[in-house]
Amino acid sequence: MERKNFLKSLFVGAISAPAVLAACSEDEAAAVTPSTGTSTGTGGTGTSGSCTVAPTETIGPFPTKVPASYVRSDITDGRTGYKMTAKITITNTSNSCAALAGVLVDIWHCDAEGNYSEYGGTGMQSTNYTNVHFLRGRQTTDANGLVTFTSIFPGWYSGRATHIHVHIYAANGTSLKVTQIAFPEGTGTAVAAVNGYSKGLSGYTYNKSDNVFSDDTAGAEIATVTGSTTAGFELVMNIGVAA
Amino acid sequence: MPDRIITLCYRKIIDISATRPWEKLVFDDTYQEFWMQAQLYNQERRFRSFGELLQHAPGAEQLHFLVSAAARGYLQQLNGVVPDIVNNLGKHFLTFSKFQFEIINSDLLDKSRHQVAINFYADPLVWHETIDNFLLVSAKTEAVGEVLTHLMQLQPYLSIYSLQTPE
Repeated sequence: MERKNFLKSLFVGAISAPAVLAACSEDEAAAVTPSTGTSTGTGGTGTSGSCTVAPTETIGPFPTKVPASYVRSDITDGRTGYKMTAKITITNTSNSCAALAGVLVDIWHCDAEGNYSEYGGTGMQSTNYTNVHFLRGRQTTDANGLVTFTSIFPGWYSGRATHIHVHIYAANGTSLKVTQIAFPEGTGTAVAAVNGYSKGLSGYTYNKSDNVFSDDTAGAEIATVTGSTTAGFELVMNIGVAA
Repeated sequence: MPDRIITLCYRKIIDISATRPWEKLVFDDTYQEFWMQAQLYNQERRFRSFGELLQHAPGAEQLHFLVSAAARGYLQQLNGVVPDIVNNLGKHFLTFSKFQFEIINSDLLDKSRHQVAINFYADPLVWHETIDNFLLVSAKTEAVGEVLTHLMQLQPYLSIYSLQTPE
């Protein structure tokens, strides 16, 4: 039975060739297709083409469960920029804004040049190139509802103010909130200090003109950001969700 | 015919019928990640299948990339060896360092419809000869003289992805 299942998984789409399978299993020690030569008459990869030698090797590797590559606190992945620590606290608006422990927090943002890690999935990924999901991370809130990420201060791109995307999930993965974090602007702020990295701030979209943040007149989506380009920045944000 | 350099692509399909531990882990974890990430494109909960999301939700094609993060750790556990494909001695011999993850189908309400594929792009091989429906290949090296070869059968879901004829 085990062998049959194994063959099933090996032959994938060719399972509708029971005669061939039977022929193979008759003699396990020589489970090799005999030379088909002209007997198939098709000259192509007919059903005989699906009858291959079964692996006969030491068993293994032994897979172990691994979390998605998002699960990490340091999401920098070698991206250069001014260091930024993001401390995000999740509270429950359905429970007097008490800290919400055990929920999943995804964040993602662009790099210093304004680019996100690759989108589209049309390209190959390399197993050696581990930073393919750069500047994306997932953490579970602690007893105080807090998650901490180490990253770089985000750059900007045309049409948007500096921002961090946040997706908060219940422990079972149900979406609780999709939102974005905005940054304070003006003299003395981190946005002014970073000055858009090498791009400068010419053509920058400020919060009041941003299509996501412009309706946030109370500034509820704006984080507290302290620090400097030399010491690094610290972003502190509270996000309330109804859980 | 001069020897040619080929790269093979093996498209491994993983669905509800997966029986081996590695495949089951990939199946379960990519479904969970799809289920989570799809909510980003489905905040009004209007869609249930991956096909509907692709057709109606802007940006949903990004799910291939976003869900690939759930498969990545398992790909590293293969230690660079393409699974399933063996030479005619029954040994795994194909190595890879590049892959592409794709969601074929999925359904937010029915896990049994989840189906993904991992395309393994094998490292280059020298194609010496075709014997019946076997390819005689060897690893690409600079060595001269005797080369060690593999006899490998053509089979479903295995294809020659690229071809290079030395000048």
